[in-house]
Amino acid sequence: MSTINRILTYEDIPVWRHARIIRWALQIISAIFVVALVAWFFTNMGSAIAERDIPFGFGFLSREYQTPIGDHFIPYESSDAFGYALGVGITNTLIVSVLGVILATLIGIVVGVARLSSNWIVNKIALAYVEFFRNVPVLVQLLFWFYIVLALPQVREGYVIADRLYLNNAGVSFPGPNVPGSLLVPLAWIVVTVAGVIAGIAAHRMLTRRETVTGRASYPLTAGCAVAIVVSGIAWMILSAVAGDAPFVMASPEPQGRFGRIAGGITVRAGVLVLLIGLVIYTSAFIGEIVRAGIQSVGRGQIEAGRALGLSPMAALRHVTFPQALRVIVPPLISQFLNLTKNSSLGGAVGYSELTNIGITMTQTAPAISIFMLIMVAYLAMSLAYSLVGNLYNRHISFERS
Amino acid sequence: MTTSADMTPTDSALPPPRSQTGVRGWVRENLFGSPLDSALTLVVGAVLVAAAWFGLGWVFFDADWRVISTIGGRFVIGNYNSDQVCPGNDCFWRPQASLLMVSALLGMAWGVAGAGVVRRIAILIAVVAALFAFLPYDFERMGMDVRLLLLANPVMLVAGWAIARYTRLGTPKWVAILSVVAFFLTLLLLLGLPGVPGLQPVDVRNWGGLTLNLVLAVSGIVLSLPVGVALALGRRSHLPVLKAVCVVFIEVFRGVPLITLLFMSQHLVPLAFPETFPRNSLLNAGIVITLFSSAYMAENVRGGLQALNPGQIEAARALGLPAWQTTLFITLPQAIRNVIPAIVGQFIGLFKDTSLVYIIGMLDIVEVGKTFVVGNTEYQQDAQEMFVFVALVFWVFTYGMSYVSRKVERHLGVGER
Repeated sequence: MSTINRILTYEDIPVWRHARIIRWALQIISAIFVVALVAWFFTNMGSAIAERDIPFGFGFLSREYQTPIGDHFIPYESSDAFGYALGVGITNTLIVSVLGVILATLIGIVVGVARLSSNWIVNKIALAYVEFFRNVPVLVQLLFWFYIVLALPQVREGYVIADRLYLNNAGVSFPGPNVPGSLLVPLAWIVVTVAGVIAGIAAHRMLTRRETVTGRASYPLTAGCAVAIVVSGIAWMILSAVAGDAPFVMASPEPQGRFGRIAGGITVRAGVLVLLIGLVIYTSAFIGEIVRAGIQSVGRGQIEAGRALGLSPMAALRHVTFPQALRVIVPPLISQFLNLTKNSSLGGAVGYSELTNIGITMTQTAPAISIFMLIMVAYLAMSLAYSLVGNLYNRHISFERS
Repeated sequence: MTTSADMTPTDSALPPPRSQTGVRGWVRENLFGSPLDSALTLVVGAVLVAAAWFGLGWVFFDADWRVISTIGGRFVIGNYNSDQVCPGNDCFWRPQASLLMVSALLGMAWGVAGAGVVRRIAILIAVVAALFAFLPYDFERMGMDVRLLLLANPVMLVAGWAIARYTRLGTPKWVAILSVVAFFLTLLLLLGLPGVPGLQPVDVRNWGGLTLNLVLAVSGIVLSLPVGVALALGRRSHLPVLKAVCVVFIEVFRGVPLITLLFMSQHLVPLAFPETFPRNSLLNAGIVITLFSSAYMAENVRGGLQALNPGQIEAARALGLPAWQTTLFITLPQAIRNVIPAIVGQFIGLFKDTSLVYIIGMLDIVEVGKTFVVGNTEYQQDAQEMFVFVALVFWVFTYGMSYVSRKVERHLGVGER
């Protein structure tokens, strides 16, 4: 009895073979190893910084940057601080990546659906698109488009299409909404409109629930859209009356002055244009494959069952295929969004001042290590934000299904 | 057009209508299946014809491809063979010798694997290499010996095949060992040995071209395998400190663009190591690319480990294997074999990503082309030709790799178990 007891309580086992002790020893050894490795790097770094007089620190952030930035979507002057200039870089990266993500998703869906088309010619073109563009480095593609745009005529001799669209080596200009007065008016209108859209969605949900519970026709979609449109329309009228100007007016681009500089409408400058074209084409090839795989993952029987229940082909696609395909599509899609954001760091190669490019320029007048630590933190924050959105969405769709 | 009625007269079934068989049937079904389909075919076909008209017109009439033949061997090796780096311009045989080793190894792989996709690829590569000997380069830049070395590739292929067939070296293990040996021999050949005639040392700053891309990609993926496996095991371990470190490492390296890491490497790698550590941009790039790649490798291997049937581990433990033997002999081999397709995909991505080393001033194939176009007023108009060519080079390599991987995958039946 006592022998069994001793075995069960591990009493006789020597210390060096005791599972719990081994586990603890491993914990401690691994911790010491990791700490020692990190400490070794940091002492090396510390002594190098001290001995070789390498600048380090974050005091530069409040200094004036004194360097112009080619593209900026928020107001920027050379006299602004380094910290603010980094903010300009972050907005530049964010704007390109958000636009790129939207466009790449739309084109990717078209490509993915085309890959499944029964039309031979459409199918093969989509296949060629995917196989070519995803197998060539995005840098090569960007440089290709860059030198095409660079070879376009100068602003004064640029192409003018239908008197509205201007294409030249400075970029492309087309008619679009312009802000006539203060920037605050459109901002206020956008805020109210977003609130209106949220109210519309809430109304849609409420009416849908009423419809399912009572069975009475409640027209949720019409009512929801009406709420959003009415709210934003009233806001538009009130703001126009109060401020004297409408939040936006449609304007066409027109050449001005001796050098034919184009003003009015919307101008997409060459750097943004090239970066967007390159990133969107590259990423949409990957997204196309993801969409195709997602749609193919839905069993044929699912669609047939939907059709047998009397759903129209479109309704079967919307209510049967898509909800199931999305579960397969969304996780790799999010990682493609992240890739696009990271690839936007190649903007410097095509003359667009995004975060990395601004950081590299900054290293000439400020400590490189500090700057790049900040930049890496910014990218990590973006990637975490993407993962967060992806995880939330994933949870949302998997809850709906269970 | 054959009809079943002709061949089986006893069969009472009627042959399908003519509109459903042969070319007409195919066109009807695949191009004009419905009114919408027909409209789509006509519109897309018109666009395609227009695109082909302009594209082919550009390729054959407008484009000036002389820029490619002028740049010639620099695409392969950068400034390695230039007058300043290699007096006498006779260093070009060194990358070529390495190509010959690749041919011999491919021959051995063919001998081991037998007929199939390996044979097709091996023959294709050797023949393409030999065909390069007939390209219209100037003789001053590319001497007769270079052409002969290129022509020797098919010979080496056959020699490798014979070795694999008729000696005891014809096993997968030996091919793997010799591949590693050949890789280090390549590095040695390119570096040179001081004091050996014909092998004068060449500074790694002058490595360039496609060789640089391949060296960085291959060493990145090979070295990242052990690091990645260690990280994957660390991430799954029960030791909190180790796990936290691995998670932070993986997420940081995956969340940040490679280009910032490369730029940072110039500043951080010399700082993180003592001053006696050799310093050059190739080594910096190699270290960063390896670490970057191992973060992705870790996630791939972790996927393989997670997909493993837990019964495998239980069976190993029941047989009395200690934890380290279970990992080394049971879980890891299966996990890695299952993620081979993912690793090939990662290698393709890494190969494409090596084009980013321009940021630390290295002349990879893209940068060779770009600096040539930007630097010579004579060729400034030819940027499109240059990048189309570079894109094609990359495409041939990456598409070839994905093709082989798909074939091998189907051959091994990975993913079907």
